[in-house]
Amino acid sequence: MTTTPVISIKNLTKTYQMGEVAVHALRSVSLNINAGEFVTVIGPSGSGKSTLMHILGCLDQPTSGQYFLDGKDVSHLSDDEISSVRNSKIGFVFQGFNLLTRTSALENVELPLLYSSTPVSASERRNRAMAALEAVGLGSRYEHHTNQLSGGQQQRVAIARALLNNPSILLADEPTGNLDSRTSVEVMDIFQSLKEDRGITIVLITHEPEVAAYGSRIVAFKDGLIVSDELNEQRRTARGELAELPVAVEETA
Amino acid sequence: MLTTSLRIAQKALKRNKLRTGLAILGMTIGVAAVLTMFALGTGAQESVSSDVKSAGTTLIFVRSGNFTRGGEESRIPTGLGSTNSLVPADADAIAKIDGVKYASANLRERTWVETSNQRFYTQVIGVDVNHPKAYGWGFPKGKFFKSDDVASAAQVAVIGTTLRDHLFGDENPVGKEVMLHNQSYKVVGVFEARDEDQGEYAIIPYTTAQKVLGTSSIQMVTVSAEQAGDTTRISDAIKALLRKRHNLDKAVPAPGAPSALGGLQAPGLGGGANPDDFTVKTQASEALTKGLNTSVAAFILANMPQMDQTNSQEMAGTLSRAGSTMTALLAAIATISLIVGGIGIMNIMLVSVTERTREIGIRRAIGARQSDVLQQFLVEAVTLSVFGGVFGIAIGFIASFVITNVLHWPATISITAVALAFGIAAVTGVFFGFYPARRASQLSPIDALRYE
Repeated sequence: MTTTPVISIKNLTKTYQMGEVAVHALRSVSLNINAGEFVTVIGPSGSGKSTLMHILGCLDQPTSGQYFLDGKDVSHLSDDEISSVRNSKIGFVFQGFNLLTRTSALENVELPLLYSSTPVSASERRNRAMAALEAVGLGSRYEHHTNQLSGGQQQRVAIARALLNNPSILLADEPTGNLDSRTSVEVMDIFQSLKEDRGITIVLITHEPEVAAYGSRIVAFKDGLIVSDELNEQRRTARGELAELPVAVEETA
Repeated sequence: MLTTSLRIAQKALKRNKLRTGLAILGMTIGVAAVLTMFALGTGAQESVSSDVKSAGTTLIFVRSGNFTRGGEESRIPTGLGSTNSLVPADADAIAKIDGVKYASANLRERTWVETSNQRFYTQVIGVDVNHPKAYGWGFPKGKFFKSDDVASAAQVAVIGTTLRDHLFGDENPVGKEVMLHNQSYKVVGVFEARDEDQGEYAIIPYTTAQKVLGTSSIQMVTVSAEQAGDTTRISDAIKALLRKRHNLDKAVPAPGAPSALGGLQAPGLGGGANPDDFTVKTQASEALTKGLNTSVAAFILANMPQMDQTNSQEMAGTLSRAGSTMTALLAAIATISLIVGGIGIMNIMLVSVTERTREIGIRRAIGARQSDVLQQFLVEAVTLSVFGGVFGIAIGFIASFVITNVLHWPATISITAVALAFGIAAVTGVFFGFYPARRASQLSPIDALRYE
């Protein structure tokens, strides 16, 4: 393939100074991720995968090395520039959902448009947020406050929010960590269909091999280094598994 | 973006109603204190200056003659008003001095004022048309005579309320006749004066008075200054003007024998020049020497330093200096309560920032810039202070109303004071909200997201 990778990191290092001790979270990591890939990053806690996620998400900057997002070096930008990159090119899905509490699902989904560099009218914000909520099957619950929604529903609100600005990549950090097994599979189904149907590039971080198995490519981390990086031949398909699982009553959205 | 920030602020503030209410209360007290302080300050100033106005400190009296020197040893005409050194043209010239509002030529005489069945011995004063304005007379019945009456030396009279009571009782005297020196005068109005003595006077055109007294000169010019603080300067200008008009500055032989007052300084007697043939006094010095023997009065005025310059305006100045001391004290109290209110807001905002660290993290992850976060929290702080400002203005109005009506202290709220109080509230919000907002904006997105 000659196309530019969506993500290209070169010799990335990240060192934290914890008092006297220097902690090497990432030791010279290089990685290319192409458009439409569903990459799962797996590793035990402390392996550097969360640090990688923060740097990929432009929440943190590397100590050294370079990070090209859509061919543009984003490893050393000003705060305003990096905020704009986060807003337009990156969608986050967190383990703890990270939705605004006591705020409606619709308002949560609208949020990225509030901070977009080109102003978006209130009616357009609402329309686009509604469409995104419908796409994740929550069209009827837009008025609900997020604390009135179940974990699975909250994560779907988070996904709708992450996709609102059509980002280059969707970054998911342990997205199923707080969910029961059926809901986890449902969320993985959403990710898989996003990749298959809309060609969205996904980087998912997890410490569970079962979750990592839904990806099309698995990158394993240990002690700040990539220990393996291979295409996943035995990919799990969430849709098929869902059919076999008993339907949970509370999740009929 | 601003409307969004406002909506976010409104939501965040509604979430903690008690806390928001208390923060607003602190600000409210501060702004109410500022506004009430202004109201009291303005009220005090207005009452001082209206006292000064009613005291008539704008008045200056120019009389013919010079009572400070007299007797055979001087060549100047003596006896107040008994000489003919002032003429109506002098009054006209004085009226043209910068800062002079009115100048009225006066003559006076004590005589009987009679009707068919009553008579009253009082002062009859000949004046010019603007005389009532200089004294601020009111006219409960009829009007003052017109300049035509002055020009034609008409036999018309305006009487004071006391005189009216003596001559006419409850009847309306307008249109009726009174007799002066066996001449009939038509009463055209009744005037009401602040000074009770003036209520006894009968007022006629000065030209008519000249005719009665058989003179072409006048006894006095009543001068009204535009501004209360200006009387001393105008007095000096009048002296200079009249000396010039009366040709007093021509070289003259050295003054004769020492005066009865010995080596004491005698005003109006410049070395080598003619002494004044007139006397200029402000109302204040007039009041001081009232009823005194002329020599004693001259002695006092000549030897009390600056006595001539002491006028009610200076007393007003002293009063207003005392007033500004009080205002400064109140301003200090108001400022302190405003600062306390501001600190309250700052405290609440710091708590709010800490509580909402995670929210800040989420917003930053989604693409909010530092300036967006700064603005959000600044708008919240300003919202608090502006609400405090609005309530404070309301309470300030109530407080001023109560102070005026219960304590009977003058308190005046001006638009400027309201605008200022509101502005101060907004500025306090920005000032005390800035630090917490800046702190919020500088949080690292990851730390904020991880915050539990």
